[in-house]
Amino acid sequence: MRRDRGRKPKKKICSYCVEKIDNVDYKQYEKLKRFVTERGKVLPRRISGNCAKHQRQLTRAIKKARIMALLPFSME
Amino acid sequence: MELYEAMVIISPELEKDGHEEVINGLSATITKNEGTVSTILDWRKRRLAYEIDKKYLEGHYYLVYFSGKGTIIPEIEHYFRVTDTVVRYMVVRTDEQEFEAAAKKAAGEAAAAEKAAAEEAAPKEEAAGDAASVETVETAEPAATPETGEPVEGQDQEEKSKEPESAPEQAEEEKPAGE
Repeated sequence: MRRDRGRKPKKKICSYCVEKIDNVDYKQYEKLKRFVTERGKVLPRRISGNCAKHQRQLTRAIKKARIMALLPFSME
Repeated sequence: MELYEAMVIISPELEKDGHEEVINGLSATITKNEGTVSTILDWRKRRLAYEIDKKYLEGHYYLVYFSGKGTIIPEIEHYFRVTDTVVRYMVVRTDEQEFEAAAKKAAGEAAAAEKAAAEEAAPKEEAAGDAASVETVETAEPAATPETGEPVEGQDQEEKSKEPESAPEQAEEEKPAGE
């Protein structure tokens, strides 16, 4: 029995798979911004809808971008 | 021989000559250690996402693509550490795809700079007469930029416009999961 009040969870698709990108690039930080919360945390896969492979790459890319001050570590 | 990409943030207070000095020094270090510099990209001055060393709010970014043996990395890192004007650096492995994309982008930038210089130099009447040649240059350029895979302003804007659509949806869907 589903308790989500009759709302079907929308099937999510990995945007990196759709765009056929093999390696997530840390230099494209404008794009990475879509996958962090407004506080700067990495969005979970549950919400972003990324596939496991790209989510792993994405996490590392975000961390690289943070080191180079392209993305914030945290935002108040 | 491995392919590497070094991203460097140089102090924004420095003049253009100072930047070149740092980059030339880096190239010299690479060549001295049996490496070859392939492409240098100037990312220009950017705002940093956070303050570094309690004084830098912006920095001048450079990307240097080079190949060499793995033993070259400690030498390069040493060079970055002893150079005070380097705010931050990172060296990562890349692949041929990235290398080619960077080379293409550099070529595109050089062509754009040349074109701008030529347009500036040539009087306007002459440019009008040469309309055909100018047109070919213009059409060649937009075709080259999306292929590079580098952050292009146009692409970024597209992504931004998509964002508001998906954001509320995502927030809503989070609720049932939390219950």
